[in-house]
Amino acid sequence: MDLSRRGFFKVMGATGAGLAASNRPARAWQSRAPEDPYGCLVDLTRCIGCRKCEQACQAVNGLPEPEMPFDDLTVLDRKRRPDEKSFTVVNRYYSGKIDERDQLIPTFVKIQCMHCQDPACASACIVGALTKKENGAVAYDASKCIGCRYCMVACPFEIPAYEYHDPITPRVMKCTFCYERVAEEGKLPGCAQICPVEAITFGKRSTLLEVGHKRIKDNPGRYIDHVYGEHEVGGTSWMYISDQPFENLGFIQVPEKPLPQLAETIQHSLFSYLWSPIVLFGMLSGVMWGFRNKGDRDIDHEGENS
Amino acid sequence: MINKSSIVLCLMLLVGINGGLVALPPGSPGSVAAYAAAAQDKPAPEPEAKAWTAPDQEAALARAAETVPFVEAVMDECKLCRQMRLRETGLSTKDITHSYFVLNSPIINKVEDHYGPVRFMHSKHAAQIQDCAMCHHYRPLDADAKETTRCSACHQEAFRPEHPERIGLKAAYHQQCMECHRDMNQGPVDCIGCHNKNVPDHKDKVQLAANPTPFQVTAECLRCHEAAGQDMLKTAHWLLKGPSPYTLGHRKEVEIGKSTIATNNF
Repeated sequence: MDLSRRGFFKVMGATGAGLAASNRPARAWQSRAPEDPYGCLVDLTRCIGCRKCEQACQAVNGLPEPEMPFDDLTVLDRKRRPDEKSFTVVNRYYSGKIDERDQLIPTFVKIQCMHCQDPACASACIVGALTKKENGAVAYDASKCIGCRYCMVACPFEIPAYEYHDPITPRVMKCTFCYERVAEEGKLPGCAQICPVEAITFGKRSTLLEVGHKRIKDNPGRYIDHVYGEHEVGGTSWMYISDQPFENLGFIQVPEKPLPQLAETIQHSLFSYLWSPIVLFGMLSGVMWGFRNKGDRDIDHEGENS
Repeated sequence: MINKSSIVLCLMLLVGINGGLVALPPGSPGSVAAYAAAAQDKPAPEPEAKAWTAPDQEAALARAAETVPFVEAVMDECKLCRQMRLRETGLSTKDITHSYFVLNSPIINKVEDHYGPVRFMHSKHAAQIQDCAMCHHYRPLDADAKETTRCSACHQEAFRPEHPERIGLKAAYHQQCMECHRDMNQGPVDCIGCHNKNVPDHKDKVQLAANPTPFQVTAECLRCHEAAGQDMLKTAHWLLKGPSPYTLGHRKEVEIGKSTIATNNF
């Protein structure tokens, strides 16, 4: 059989494209978001930057004591990110606006896992250690985790952290949405409970969206007309309203489509019914079959020449 | 380290606990008598003279412990309309029934209790602001209800599913007080400006033998409050000298005090 290199790729590419095209409409991507999850709405105009949420988070989740005490507000002087020792941090931003006494008006932003409706981390997790629960939490099961850290690469908000300091039993660390407290004890997440000014409103996500839009509508000058998390990456359980554009407050620009939609569509169209491995190995066997006598002929030639 | 200043410090700590924002009744966990009783393992003796408390304090504490029925609906009126209506009805600071409140609601305390209660001088605030509608921003929809009502009638538990827009009592207090204090540039906006820190019950923490000597008491205090002891050694109370920016004629002297200028020195 006369199969050139170019010919081989042509045949393979055509077969693959054909099969991919025929498969795609049959298996459209379906969101697996829970219907009526809980969520939190953070009102950045209310936050006073007291760091009580960080303190409550540390106490509720049994996290290690911080280097600087929680009532030390000088830590706000630099920008921080959640890490393996703190699930949530508050950062301070100045927009340049000043009050009547010429003081810069700060905006405080609490960062934690957004608990996406279609979480990219759970989609990327190859062992199902991360799952989206019915109550809205993206929960982590350390007993299943193999430490591949795909979740850290997948997360559009750069949230999951890893216990690199622990060589024996490292875990991926991120906000748990106080899953056990909410699901079993009927309590509030630690941060939402302690917040002195109710900057964090806890409730059903659908209710919170109504509340958020109502607050924006009732106070026209106070907010910008955007609920961050309503549509971002297909919707998140944690949402924000603000008086400043979100891009000025360290919020990451993310697409509105759920991230697993593209990744899972590609993967499912490549691997459904195992067609691509079958085609690949079929082609390879074809190549082997085509060349099955060539080696013998070479030996014959060698024999003739000698 | 045991020394006389530490005794002073220790006494200050004890008195500080007892003489906090809300005066504790004698025999309560914070009082010195209670420590002595705990140390001697016998019931507290009835103090001979009852410690003085402000007459309205007991009443205010009792009022703080009450909960009132939840107001489901409020009258929908704009802030200016309400201000004008209150002015027309002739409601003024003279109509105040309670001039002093202790803000210590069981609605908040049953969920969490991180700080001590707040003393709220109702009449003083009213006299300064002269506008009831600043805080009493809505009235109950029920026509028979009083024109103004306490905060905890409308603001109770946070995140009630049937009233998602209604903030809880804790947030209502904090938003109202802090925002106004900030806007007016008057009054505290930090936690301990209004609250005492919740001092844990020291009855179980203090471990003293019967009839302890002052040195033993000091050592016991320093067992936990070591940093406070170290701080004390740097103050004028211990050094008997220090900066004196407010003393006329000695403003430029960096170190002034009993140790340097007193004739009958130690």
